[in-house]
Amino acid sequence: MTATAAVAAAEPEVRPRRQGRNLALWLSVGWLALVIAAVVAAPWLGFLDDPHRPLAGQPEEGPSWSHWFGTDQLGRDMFARSVWGGRLSLSIAGPAVGIGIVAGGLLGVVAGYFGTWVDGAVSSIVNVALALPALVFALFIVTMLGQSYANVTIAVTILTIPAIARIARAQALRFAAREFVTVADMMGARWPRLLFREVLPNVVPALASIAFLAMGIVIIAEGSLSFIGASVGSPSITWGNILAAGRGRLEESPHIALTTGGVMFATLLALNFVGDELLRRLDVREARI
Amino acid sequence: MLRFLGTRLAQLALVVLAVTLLFYWMLNLLPGNPCVAAFGGAATQEQIAECEQDRNLDDPVIVQWAKWGGDVLTGDFGKSYLTGRTFGEALTTALPRTLLLLAYSQTLALGAAIPLGLWSGYRQNSAVDKITSGGAFALLSTPVFVLGLVLILVFAVKLNWFDLSGYEPISEGLAAHFRVMFLPAVTLAAGLLPVYLRLLRTDVIGTLQEDFVGTARAKGLPVRHVLLRHVLRPSSFTLLTIFGVQAAQAVNGVIVVEFLFDLDGVGSLLVGWVAAREFLLVQTLVALIAAVFVTVTTVVDLLYSVLDPRVRRK
Repeated sequence: MTATAAVAAAEPEVRPRRQGRNLALWLSVGWLALVIAAVVAAPWLGFLDDPHRPLAGQPEEGPSWSHWFGTDQLGRDMFARSVWGGRLSLSIAGPAVGIGIVAGGLLGVVAGYFGTWVDGAVSSIVNVALALPALVFALFIVTMLGQSYANVTIAVTILTIPAIARIARAQALRFAAREFVTVADMMGARWPRLLFREVLPNVVPALASIAFLAMGIVIIAEGSLSFIGASVGSPSITWGNILAAGRGRLEESPHIALTTGGVMFATLLALNFVGDELLRRLDVREARI
Repeated sequence: MLRFLGTRLAQLALVVLAVTLLFYWMLNLLPGNPCVAAFGGAATQEQIAECEQDRNLDDPVIVQWAKWGGDVLTGDFGKSYLTGRTFGEALTTALPRTLLLLAYSQTLALGAAIPLGLWSGYRQNSAVDKITSGGAFALLSTPVFVLGLVLILVFAVKLNWFDLSGYEPISEGLAAHFRVMFLPAVTLAAGLLPVYLRLLRTDVIGTLQEDFVGTARAKGLPVRHVLLRHVLRPSSFTLLTIFGVQAAQAVNGVIVVEFLFDLDGVGSLLVGWVAAREFLLVQTLVALIAAVFVTVTTVVDLLYSVLDPRVRRK
């Protein structure tokens, strides 16, 4: 069978699948855009209640037209709390992933490119860090430094670095062995050029896709911290502490946990889908976190 | 082999030492006197002096750490200055619960992942495969606490099949025990399952291309026999490796699940001590957990090379 015949034979089976994937991808991107727009614009959204105002509606009412996500036992509007909770959760996850990608990416690329003892040192630190239970470590840092926005962000950032470094290292190893790097080397390019102009740009696509997956993991990590009461202290609202409050009211008002839990699930699903799809389309391997 | 074993054990010891020292040093960066904090701010001068003596606070960090290590090795884990309860007492109650929870959830996760992974690798793109892959993807995107809340709502609050009354030991009867342990185990297993599943599926697809599988099928062996005897066996190495890696991740889940279901295991112990500012106990527990997990990873690594001689030669 010729190559064209093979492609033609494969086509009918592939096409509907790809269309489905495209639709799911755009739905995911749309949902993420909506969530980001809502949490960024929260202070200026006129129709959004004050999330701290008690008796915005009758206490513990299910979702209605005036209170989309219902109210809690103090009568606070759960939709507003969900948006503001997302605002804090995402404003922790965003910088954490940004710093994690830059720091972990550089660390991994340097280790993968230089090899020898640099790689040995970085790899062993990364392996030990990955063998430690992340939440225990984060809990320890936050307890020691105090439950503030900055400290929670620091704690979750530290968690992202080793995982990202490991992936960046694997990618750098792959590209450092490629012909164009060897050629540039033979043409007399010095290491900064080889590293930053030849290897690094090739690792960036993988890092960009990883950023979405890492974002999901950081949101879960911060959520777990706030769920057990160890993230930014009250009266700050996070997705995790809304769910922790909803846990005590499952019988009376299940909507508290279900609505915010649903928003969180949809957001994580979208992040993972976009990340996975980017990895697939950019043909990046060995990049699961 | 002996030399290999020696190197790995030396590495292990070094890492455990480094990790505990790191935690010790970090705690020392904390402003204020940990002994004052240990009493919750209401202590007499003598009590503080006693605690300072216990903890060797006059010594440099490295000496404190060495003395702490000596105490731990001889079985003296310290105590809560607030409640007078020793670390050992607290751990004796908490540890069995956590170990049971881990054992149940790993059994559930592997029990579901092995048949599903084998079948979806064998019948790629079949309905079973698509549903399992989709399900695994959805599970990966569900935080443990969201899934746990939904399970509680449906099975404990609405259907009333399970209890949420804290922990019941096996001695209270198996039925009572599983009425409280089943949902936590399922919640925890749901986090592990997709990881095992995805890995096993990829592995199975690779193994099915091997010549020995073709030979086995050509000999007319039934599919079930080929999958279980010929395909699963090489994949068990991969499962073992990921088991080691996941052990650390499982602890994250344990903390959240124990909190969610009021199980008072090791995770709850840690969260409780953190909330009560019992830094000295937190430190010992965190160092122990870290040491256990570095050990688990190393042991898995060693086991791997015992089972598969190819690893040793590399």
